[in-house]
Amino acid sequence: MIYLDSAATTFQKPPAVETAMVNALRTMSSPGRGGYPAAMAAADAAFDCRSELAELYSLKNPEQVVFTLNATHALNIAIKTLVPPGGRVVISGYEHNAVTRPLAALEADVMIAEAPLFHPEAVSESFSKLVDSGVDAVICSHVSNVFGFIQPVEAVAALCRTRGVPLIVDDSQAAGVLPLDMAALGAAFAAMPGHKGLYGPQGTGVLLCGEGVKPYTLLEGGTGSLSIQQEMPEFLPDRLEAGTHNMPGIAGLLAGVRYVRQRGLEAICRRERQLAYMAAEELRGLPGVTVYARPGLHAQLGVLSFTAEDWEAEAMGQALAERGIAVRAGLHCAPLAHRSAGTLGSGTVRLSFSDFNTPEEVSRLVSAMGEILA
Amino acid sequence: MDHYLIIARSVTYAQRMQRTLARAGVRCQIFRAPRDLTELGCAYAVRVAVSDLTDALTALHRESLDPVQIFLYQRGLYREVGR
Repeated sequence: MIYLDSAATTFQKPPAVETAMVNALRTMSSPGRGGYPAAMAAADAAFDCRSELAELYSLKNPEQVVFTLNATHALNIAIKTLVPPGGRVVISGYEHNAVTRPLAALEADVMIAEAPLFHPEAVSESFSKLVDSGVDAVICSHVSNVFGFIQPVEAVAALCRTRGVPLIVDDSQAAGVLPLDMAALGAAFAAMPGHKGLYGPQGTGVLLCGEGVKPYTLLEGGTGSLSIQQEMPEFLPDRLEAGTHNMPGIAGLLAGVRYVRQRGLEAICRRERQLAYMAAEELRGLPGVTVYARPGLHAQLGVLSFTAEDWEAEAMGQALAERGIAVRAGLHCAPLAHRSAGTLGSGTVRLSFSDFNTPEEVSRLVSAMGEILA
Repeated sequence: MDHYLIIARSVTYAQRMQRTLARAGVRCQIFRAPRDLTELGCAYAVRVAVSDLTDALTALHRESLDPVQIFLYQRGLYREVGR
């Protein structure tokens, strides 16, 4: 199989991830629940994972790193901390349902900072027009999960700091590929999956918490601390980590994060963009294919959407699947992003690359597309 | 053997203390805090030698790592000596 669906989850993981997960099953119990070796081995793995992530994201201390089930879980905590029912929120035009559905559930007054694809300066201008001190939160994805559009989170964060509005960054597609300096941004929260660019297993996610925020508890339960008290602890990470931890997942995530840090974000980013660039150039040469990318892949990461004339996106995805190529077709749980790009009616076929894809795989994709369109 | 127990609010906090003390050259170990020492239930503690307490507290203070309580273990009994 040629796997080009890493924006959903990375399928090929560094070998150390599997080793770490098996080791966790054999040697670790539950962190914070005992002083015996298996509990302390689990606590050490969890702490090491928090510490690696805190360093990667410039957080002052590892307690600001909270483990979640996935990015959606993390975003729900962040949103429900900052946005009261009926609250006012400004979001980008490229947000995922993981952002828009919790806001709908809160019946929030959502203002959309509309901007055309691959024009980061237009995104900044649009946020600037909408954000004022009466806004409860600003939410901006770092990279669009449909189009790979890199949004100007640094500029949006600067605007939020100036206007005194808390910022939530959805780092789902950028984690493990683009840097994010939480200290410099001053963001209230950043949410990300552990199982995409950080190469952990499915069922892992991370919420990075800025300083001075008391997060909403989506779950309450045992934390291994302050057991007599019936309110959840106020301190992190315990406040947000009720119940038994996913230790095989966290151990795998630790191995994934170490891979990313050793390999380097820049090297991973370069590789993924090169593959996306190659795919964009070659697919453009096929009859009836529209590729969503600016020349030189301006403001775009290794995620590429396309449509083909007379082909429904899901049918194209199926035709590629029958040739051993895994892609994602349709609306990608992001109807807002499709509306912003003008592709809501058709959906798109999405290619998304990881550090484990090769130029040969892109060539085979393009050959398969040539066959399908012939 | 006589020692001090520095009570931490959570296992993660105790681990931060342990790493900080290790960097400062203070030997220590993490333990579950004995139940009768903690007012609000489960907690972890960092154990340091009697001779290391001043260095340990200096290093923790430098990193703004505040103990919940400090106990001295002597002649088979714990006695609270600080918060």
